[in-house]
Amino acid sequence: MNYTIHFSQVVEYIPYLIGGAWISLQVAFLAFCGGMVIGLFGAMAKTFGGVIIRRVVDAYVSFITNTPQLVQIYFLYFALPEAGIVLDSYEAVLLGMTLNAGGYLTEIQRAGFLSVRRSELEAAETLGMNLMQQVRYVILPHIMKVLFPSLSNLYILMTLGTSMAAIFGLEELTGRALNINAETFRSIEVFSLTAVLYFFVTVAASLTLLFVGRVFFRVKGKVF
Amino acid sequence: MWDRVAEELPRFFTYYNVVFFLKAMFTTFLLSLIGCVLGSIFGGLLAVIKITKSKVLWPLRALALVYVEFFRRIPFLVTLLLIFFFFQAFGLEVSVFTVALVSVWVIATAFIAEIVRSGLEAVPTTQWEAAAVMNFNLLQTLGTVILPQAWKVILPPAFSFFVLFIKDTALASQIGVVELTYSAKVLNNKGFSAALAFGVVLLLYYILSYPLAKFGAWMEMKLEISKHRSM
Repeated sequence: MNYTIHFSQVVEYIPYLIGGAWISLQVAFLAFCGGMVIGLFGAMAKTFGGVIIRRVVDAYVSFITNTPQLVQIYFLYFALPEAGIVLDSYEAVLLGMTLNAGGYLTEIQRAGFLSVRRSELEAAETLGMNLMQQVRYVILPHIMKVLFPSLSNLYILMTLGTSMAAIFGLEELTGRALNINAETFRSIEVFSLTAVLYFFVTVAASLTLLFVGRVFFRVKGKVF
Repeated sequence: MWDRVAEELPRFFTYYNVVFFLKAMFTTFLLSLIGCVLGSIFGGLLAVIKITKSKVLWPLRALALVYVEFFRRIPFLVTLLLIFFFFQAFGLEVSVFTVALVSVWVIATAFIAEIVRSGLEAVPTTQWEAAAVMNFNLLQTLGTVILPQAWKVILPPAFSFFVLFIKDTALASQIGVVELTYSAKVLNNKGFSAALAFGVVLLLYYILSYPLAKFGAWMEMKLEISKHRSM
């Protein structure tokens, strides 16, 4: 082995890397929020919609969950310009991640919808609530308790998934690590530092989710 | 877009391109299969270490905990690059396929350890206690009491993790492994329409993953029914 490990050259880049981690978290958060909206509509369509709309949502979910996110973003980034739609790398990554999250969140939220008991909905109907009110006051508070663990799990996986954005030239945590690698050639040091930062970022995200779950939805969970 | 795709279609599906795609598809499948099988063996080992109670083994337990928590919280791409540069720095001449395989193995070990551990913990404590009363040692307890009950809980999520990893191996294209995503990039670079190349590869991933996902869902349903009967 003729490689000596020097962290000294890399240490000065830590603030730069932390800035990248912030962008990673932003992308994950935006994509998650978009995905939640898509997932909510998808789950509602699958639960209450007619046959055709159910088929369409099924096809979307099955396509998203059975193909890699990376290739989906490749498709958006390289193939859409051929149809005249040019997305820059940030838009392509965000759109790809949102659509991807939407597919998974449709399935997760549908499982939550199914956990609501028939009699509860009948009680809501007796009170004269319309569909939107039922979703707002009966279904949502109920399913949040059931769904919170899988939602926070997906959120962590999505935070890790943002590393894909580096491939499209976005300067988030992995992208910045690649930049530093190109500048200093200290590959092992840079990427182990990046790995440690990802660890802390996801632990921070888990702790935040745990707090949100405890305070707003009275869900008990654990970080490790 | 559509007329360009239609125009290129006959030139796209030549014998060589089809063979190229099928080989790439096989590489994708092999990468996740071998990685997950190795990951299951080592992950199972880690899970057993994590549930041991003996005081002497605490360093091993701590190591297992750190390993599992760490590798579940870093992206596959970063693991891949880290292991790639690691092999390079140590001057080991290995193929990129091996590098990707080791990365899948490392990640799969961490995830499957967690799946197996939750499966082992799903078996009621009374079963453990009964085995202890009968003076079974750890191996006997696991082999004759716990695993026959736990495998039904372990298998479905482990299988869905395997299917998940078929998709994650797309990232191996970044270090130059010739798998499905890489083959699409090659054909796109040869001048074929990106919509065609990536569209076909999306379809091939779907063909690979959909039956396996369906099989996993079916297995989950089957095992769930029998679980309720036996307990």
